Amino acid sequence: MLDAIDKELLKAVADLESIPKGAYNIRKNGRLLSREVTANIDIETNEDGTGIDIIVKPGTVNESVHIPVILSQADLFDVVKNRFVIGEGSDVTIIAGCGIHCGSDKPEGHAGVHEFYIKKNAKVKYVEKHYATGPGTGRRTLNPVTKVFIEENGHAEMELTQLGGVDEARRINEATLGPNASLLITERVMTDGEQQAVSENKIILEGRDCKAELISRSVIKDNSKQDFYATLEAREKCYGHLECDAIVMGNGTNETVPALRSLHPDAELTHEAAIGKIANDQLMKLMSLGMDYDEAVNHIIRGFLK
Amino acid sequence: MLEIKDLRFSVQETDQSGQEINKEIIKGITYTFEQGKFYAITGPNGSGKTTLGKLIMGIYQPTGGSILLGGKNITNLSITERARMGLAFSFQHPARFKGMTFRDLLAIAAGTDDENALVSILTRVGLCSLDFLDKEVGAKLSGGEIKKVELATTIARNPRVAIYDEPDTGIDLWTIGPMVELLKKEQHEHNTTTIVVSHNEKFLEAADEVILIKDGQIAQTGPMAALLPLLQDLDFCSWKNICEGEYDVRCHR
Repeated sequence: MLDAIDKELLKAVADLESIPKGAYNIRKNGRLLSREVTANIDIETNEDGTGIDIIVKPGTVNESVHIPVILSQADLFDVVKNRFVIGEGSDVTIIAGCGIHCGSDKPEGHAGVHEFYIKKNAKVKYVEKHYATGPGTGRRTLNPVTKVFIEENGHAEMELTQLGGVDEARRINEATLGPNASLLITERVMTDGEQQAVSENKIILEGRDCKAELISRSVIKDNSKQDFYATLEAREKCYGHLECDAIVMGNGTNETVPALRSLHPDAELTHEAAIGKIANDQLMKLMSLGMDYDEAVNHIIRGFLK
Repeated sequence: MLEIKDLRFSVQETDQSGQEINKEIIKGITYTFEQGKFYAITGPNGSGKTTLGKLIMGIYQPTGGSILLGGKNITNLSITERARMGLAFSFQHPARFKGMTFRDLLAIAAGTDDENALVSILTRVGLCSLDFLDKEVGAKLSGGEIKKVELATTIARNPRVAIYDEPDTGIDLWTIGPMVELLKKEQHEHNTTTIVVSHNEKFLEAADEVILIKDGQIAQTGPMAALLPLLQDLDFCSWKNICEGEYDVRCHR
């Protein structure tokens, strides 16, 4: 059922060697390839047929859902709208991701709109990887949209990664946090060649004592371009932190615009942003431990994106 | 064992009138370090002590003279090649890495990620906390912690020649004694040629030979006792004219 290309893509985006255990939904070239539900996690095609609803029953703990999307059909732009409802008090891991294999000069792309409704006291870890490969020259586009609504005392940790091969990406992340909710987003993007990526983020800290942290790590190689925009808006006593770091290699360009908006006197918002080449003292240190220049660069980049 | 011959280093600088001038920092230093001995390089701020250490490691390229390790000319070798020949350098202000842990660095230094091997290095350098291994070598480490990481990665190289640039920077007073002991132990047990760039008298006392550098040249060499009158005479602090004396807490150094 899975061919060699499918397997390569699944390995890259979801660390899957074969069909996963637990609940899953694998989408290939805009269609359902296979699906499995469990007693606690239900997956259904949504009413208008544009995507899936993933419903996690209240109190579900230590379960995971895999929902990878793979594309290998020329001239296809696959749009999917998925909705996740994470029931009260549950604790689950969701592994998503999209892998594109481009074998022709025709473009291929995917836009995944993911909405998360994280109920009271629920915890979710969401891992999303984007990757494109293949010998074709067609343009590969990935435009993910992630919207998160976290209720009281809920917690979400999101790892969003794009590690190569994607020519064009427009990434949008939005979140609204209720009282005492917490959110940690780590976004890692690496571009090379003539690739372009834009990341737009808006986090609204609405509930009292909620906490949000957004960490962005960009590696910009060759002539590629990455722009990063983020706004933290505090509407209550809360804590928010933005950290955006970009390493530029070659002639890469970057615009980083962190914005903090405080609408409450007890809000505490901070940010740090840095754009620059690999620090010389890091290279010197690793070379003094016996690595050559290229090994040192690779090691620093790998750590930075880890 | 490690010979430096007429070593020179200069940089281009722009003077107040906007003219490019050639500023000589190391003005022809010749010296031979013997295998397994402990050396302290000292001298006033700006005298060229750190530069000398960095020239030996290949971090700076000399503008004249030569460096020989075990008879082999290493003057034009890279940092990497020198490291692989057994030179190690401990930085005064160690690099911090996002996303890299102490374990990662130590594994690179030791050439193995074997847990037992790493733990034995920790024991060897007197770090008993295993939790410390998985700490990120990032901005959150304190000044003292990062210096311990630096020291451990240097020792993990099993170097023939270890150069320590101001190893006591950021280290509390109570840790300097044990640090001196550690470097002495390494010197004796592994026959490490140890070169410490320092102002601290504890390191100077521990050294078999103190090398006093002044104005880019060797002013005097010998054991601490012999150099003591000269050292006491020496105006170590070049900021003295603007501060209130040696006990001023607002010392500008």
